[in-house]
Amino acid sequence: MEKEFAIEAKNISKTFHISEDSHNTVKNRLFNIFKPSRSRYVPAVKNMSFEILKGECIGLLGRNGCGKSTLVKLLAGVYPSDSGQIRINGSTMLMNLGVGMSHELTARENVYVSGSVLGLRIKEIDAIFKEIIEFAELEEFVDTKIKFFSSGMVARLAFSIAVKAGADIMFLDEIFAVGDVKFQDKAIKVFESSWIEGKTVILVSHSMEVIRQYCNRTAFLKHGELVFYGDTEKAIELYMEDNQ
Amino acid sequence: MIKMITSFLVGSNKLERLWLLAKIEFKLRYYENNLGLLWALLKPLMDVAIYYIVFKTILKTDVPAFASYLFIGLILWNFFVESTSGTVQILQTKKYLYEYSNMNKMEIYLSTLLSNSIGFFFNLSMFVIFLNFIETDLVGLSLLNLWIVPLFVILFILSLALSLILSCIYVLAKDITQIWQVFTAALFFLSPIFYKLALFKESLPALTYINPIAGIIINARKVMMEKSLPDFGLLFFDLGYALLLLLIGLIMLNKIGARAAEKL
Repeated sequence: MEKEFAIEAKNISKTFHISEDSHNTVKNRLFNIFKPSRSRYVPAVKNMSFEILKGECIGLLGRNGCGKSTLVKLLAGVYPSDSGQIRINGSTMLMNLGVGMSHELTARENVYVSGSVLGLRIKEIDAIFKEIIEFAELEEFVDTKIKFFSSGMVARLAFSIAVKAGADIMFLDEIFAVGDVKFQDKAIKVFESSWIEGKTVILVSHSMEVIRQYCNRTAFLKHGELVFYGDTEKAIELYMEDNQ
Repeated sequence: MIKMITSFLVGSNKLERLWLLAKIEFKLRYYENNLGLLWALLKPLMDVAIYYIVFKTILKTDVPAFASYLFIGLILWNFFVESTSGTVQILQTKKYLYEYSNMNKMEIYLSTLLSNSIGFFFNLSMFVIFLNFIETDLVGLSLLNLWIVPLFVILFILSLALSLILSCIYVLAKDITQIWQVFTAALFFLSPIFYKLALFKESLPALTYINPIAGIIINARKVMMEKSLPDFGLLFFDLGYALLLLLIGLIMLNKIGARAAEKL
């Protein structure tokens, strides 16, 4: 089988420009034309190159603030990168504690909007709609606005949409913390059966168990730099050392 | 440009998605309040009533068929305001759509404007009914009325362009919301919405061209009420104006709008 790239990144970097005084109104900008703004540059991701193949499950390790989330957002196409280029082959979906859902919309509308954003046709969503609601255990609240949901309910709905509709490339940022034990078991089962097979997954987790179990390759990040990319055991070792 | 549009539309669920988002947007706007869709129909009528009383009853303007004259001007104006003032903060309110996926931001703008277009279509139907059954001074419908379609397309492009520009400025400067409110208030009085056209052209000749809405309103009255062809010079000028602004808007979306996820 020929190797097909899901994501190809070349020399990507990202620096955040954080201004410390509020120069975000026209008035402030006009009055402070000659006063240089106090601002800092925070390099979050420094010059990385790598590629991810279709169907791979990649782990992402690193301590807090090492640029994991920024990297994930760059790869998912949410942030534009400052330099280099990223080629993304397919639709992407980023999941952390919630996926893109509007609190003004009902569960039903959110399912349709998210499904459509992920590239499904309305008919396809019609077909899986019932499964999504059943999986999320929200049958009684289909037409309730999700602003009235508990945070667990929102997270379950988000997870169910991701499970059933899923994009070609999934970025999962600490997702196994959703719901009660029963839901977690269900989630892991689905994760194993439908995502590990057939989808490209990038997994961010602080749980070594999860990373060790699912990832063929793992990247280790430190201070915005890609220190290591390859064998999972080696990456975990480096990460453990870093935590000492 | 055309190539870009076709490649944008062909072969995916994009059209479906635009329609879905537009429908939900429309529903959110009108079905959330008690009057529902009635409100969408009532608002232009109430506007017309207010301006009619001020300009016809009190100021005794001598424009013939003044209610219809106001009506067509106001529904075009309302579409413009809803699509520009209403979308200044769109990158903030619709953040949930682009924050977690690589969705094209253009779709967010298009769906919102599409939702406003549904509202405009209702208003236009009301206007046509009004024109035919209530305003009896004028003769009924004619094929020339169809010229309203290209005029509306120009208005759509113009509103989309300004929406792009304003919402990108919003990423950098939040008070553009207030500035634009003042600006539209001024523009409202500098548009030929309730003035007699000859008077408007005589006092402020340059504004027919500088104010992009003016030309659209003038032409819309020609094709809907006077049963004549639009002024083509003005029509193409407005089209060029709108396309130029759209180009600026697209450049801004690429430069600034692309960074909305991290800035807002």
